[in-house]
Amino acid sequence: MSTNVVSRPCEYTATAAVRPNFLQRHGQSILLYVCFAIFAVVVLAPFYFIFVSSITPSNELFEVPPRYWPSAPTADSYNRMMDAVPFFTYFRNSLIFAIGSSALSVIAAGMAAYALARIKFPGSNIIYLVLILSVALPQIAVLVPMFETLKTFKMISTHHGLIILMSSLVLPYTIMTLVSFIKQIPAEIEEAAYIDGANTAQIILRVVLPLVRPALFTMFLINFIISWNELLYPLVFTHNVDTKTLSVGLTELTDPGSTYTKPWDMMSAMSVFMIIPVLLIILFGQRMIISGLSRGALKG
Amino acid sequence: MTPLALPRRLRTPLARLTLRQRFYVIAIILLIPALALRTFTAFYPFIQTAYLSLHKYNPAFDHNGPVFTGLNNFQRIANDPVVRASIGYTLLFVVAATFLQLTLGLAVAHLLNAPFRLKALSRTLVLIPWAIPMVIAALGFRWMFDDQFGMIPDLLRRGLGVQMKWLIDPYNAKLAVISVAVWKSTPFVALVLLAGLQGISQDLYEAAKVDGATRFTSLRFITIPMLMPLLITTGMFMVVWQLAVFDLPFLMTGGGPGFSTTVIAQKIYLESNSLNYGYAASIGMVLVGIVAVVGAIGLWLFRRFDVSE
Repeated sequence: MSTNVVSRPCEYTATAAVRPNFLQRHGQSILLYVCFAIFAVVVLAPFYFIFVSSITPSNELFEVPPRYWPSAPTADSYNRMMDAVPFFTYFRNSLIFAIGSSALSVIAAGMAAYALARIKFPGSNIIYLVLILSVALPQIAVLVPMFETLKTFKMISTHHGLIILMSSLVLPYTIMTLVSFIKQIPAEIEEAAYIDGANTAQIILRVVLPLVRPALFTMFLINFIISWNELLYPLVFTHNVDTKTLSVGLTELTDPGSTYTKPWDMMSAMSVFMIIPVLLIILFGQRMIISGLSRGALKG
Repeated sequence: MTPLALPRRLRTPLARLTLRQRFYVIAIILLIPALALRTFTAFYPFIQTAYLSLHKYNPAFDHNGPVFTGLNNFQRIANDPVVRASIGYTLLFVVAATFLQLTLGLAVAHLLNAPFRLKALSRTLVLIPWAIPMVIAALGFRWMFDDQFGMIPDLLRRGLGVQMKWLIDPYNAKLAVISVAVWKSTPFVALVLLAGLQGISQDLYEAAKVDGATRFTSLRFITIPMLMPLLITTGMFMVVWQLAVFDLPFLMTGGGPGFSTTVIAQKIYLESNSLNYGYAASIGMVLVGIVAVVGAIGLWLFRRFDVSE
């Protein structure tokens, strides 16, 4: 023990005397950049392959070994995809579904979160717990009665039916994040407004809403992405062109000619278009989305 | 006489209540939309599922509604090799994927936390796998793992000289599906852990450095213990969420070859599509039971580590 303590200063002086070589000076940042490069390649490689597949002529797509760049890039797959699927209808349906679900979920969750975070009433803890824990209930486990219920209310293959289902799915997570956000806002602001004679509606709309607007917008973006990507609900509960979303269209895009080989060229073309809106959102909303995602989890 | 002319306190029924009562009413009004949505799509269907799981019900044959059969469905589950295989693969998938997501997620979180010029870019990149549709990830990787025309077998053959059949071999297919889940969700885990890393005081690391700690010992004795509650909650979230995984194996392998990558959720989907509603509901109850048991273990773990902190 004591020898250890004595020997350490000697080691430091020894290394400090020798001028560190290139690797010693830059070793750490080189390692960082190498790690970053590996990470970037792993993340981006699938997009590269999907994009290349979408601009490769279909005869070159089925070559062994595979090509990593087409001899002559072409938009042919995009044209054939547009002929094979009602792309713009599906795109519109996806937009309605995603915007509707995120809007409804943010409104319902915002109202509930305010009540749970600010108003003390008996049973509020239990209601919060039940709402949050219900996130663990797998959507697929209760699929059958859900189908029957929707049939009773004539909501199969309707936009509002899908929106109700989807907004409810993301609700627990949204409530959790918003409760933690509202609790961070000092209650004194609202108390001051009360003393000045504002009523509850005025306080919620004029005082609280402007303060939580960034959080609501963040959750809107996150829920938009989650709904845009959702497969199960649209797959089970839509049976016509007017309500099917892009994710369903993509899974249904099968080659009429053969049962085994899927039309990868058209699928890739459709995938590229389906990714674009999501990519735009994360490019512009990156900071907000990261804060929203980590806040919900940290408080859980 | 217009309503406005009434005395102010009589105008709304709300005004006749005491301040405290008024708050209760407001709280209930604010909670109604959320509770209604959850009741309609979760609580009520769950009760119905529990009811159906004890009945035989196929709307094509049972025109008089569900027929009570007691625990028959569950006996059938116990003897159904496909259900047993799907439970086995679901558990393997969840355990392996979550473990890898947490380990790699911690590594990626360190990369995102490191001070270097590409920090902003790396934080955009990390969102991409989380944000793109699972549909596209599953189908894209299915194409990339294709035995004849896929890029991944080709790259492995050229780069490492490895000859592997992926999606037509039962064991490799299991592995391939898990690896896509890891690719898709590790970034999300990394983001959550990044927030945790930023919450650890730098003083601890500096003090450890003065005491002669290496990187590894700092990781082992500072980072991991400090992150333990977060690692457990994130791990639990990933476990519970992935127990219900459906779209990834459904689109990537269709549950095959054979039933080697069939998960519980896909079995439920198949049975509901064959209109075996009672049987599908009982498999759903088994899934809920598994989630409940795992969730209870998670809560117990969390309590233990939270108290010892």
